[in-house]
Amino acid sequence: MNLLTKNETKAPVTRTVTPRYDVRETGDAYVITALVPGVDRSSLETTVDGETLTVTGRRTFTVPEGWTAVHREIAQSDYQLVLDLDRRFNRDGIKAELSQGVLTLTLPKAEAVKPRKIEILG
Amino acid sequence: MKLVRYHNSPLFNPSANYPSLRDEMDRLFDVAFPALSTLQREGFFGELQGQFPIDLYQEKDAVVVRAELPGFRKEDLAVEVADGVLTITGHQKAETKADDAKKTSATTQERRVSRAISLPEHLSLDKIQATYENGVLTVKLPKTEEVKPKQIAIEVK
Repeated sequence: MNLLTKNETKAPVTRTVTPRYDVRETGDAYVITALVPGVDRSSLETTVDGETLTVTGRRTFTVPEGWTAVHREIAQSDYQLVLDLDRRFNRDGIKAELSQGVLTLTLPKAEAVKPRKIEILG
Repeated sequence: MKLVRYHNSPLFNPSANYPSLRDEMDRLFDVAFPALSTLQREGFFGELQGQFPIDLYQEKDAVVVRAELPGFRKEDLAVEVADGVLTITGHQKAETKADDAKKTSATTQERRVSRAISLPEHLSLDKIQATYENGVLTVKLPKTEEVKPKQIAIEVK
């Protein structure tokens, strides 16, 4: 299956991590859920360029002055998810929603791939 | 027999103010092989049980805990302090109804995460503040007056 495959080659080599993500199929869309804690709406960017969907999320938290880190487990890298799209998607209808660190992308299926009922004549 | 609380919190150990060699190595690997560090973390969402990453900070007049807990509702998170231990719990239940048209059955997805952190003494526990923003829970525990650094004026005669 080549739809929504992770594009390793096009992802630029920077200090980013691929967020944990999941793809579900519904009747008329594909729904991608990605975990991007620490990213707010203004630091999240979703772009579609040709056949590549890129999601970049920057962490907005910086350690305030006067705070000393005693123990750190939270990764500091920004997020980047690069996916390949094919003709099965209606690019214009892509919707993105961010809520408490969870990004939900809805990619509507193109009309051509939606299930069609063919009537039998005669 | 006497029960003594096990002080494993880095907040107790002054030498833990310096990141351990292990932490340093972890960070080095995170930077060098970012894909690996995502793999290492537990499975996605549904399987995300138990642990979640936290950061601990010391401030002049407070101790701050940051916890990464994406996708919870505010009411599904609980912050409790009892007997010198701070417990952060997230419990979420998502139910979907059966849909005959889509041939899906009813499912219940539950996720429960919890973490306990030993606290140092001298915190005013009734003034704890917790905020939840962008999937990150921040708990601020103010220090009581006596541990705040005080400036003592020296008289010159």
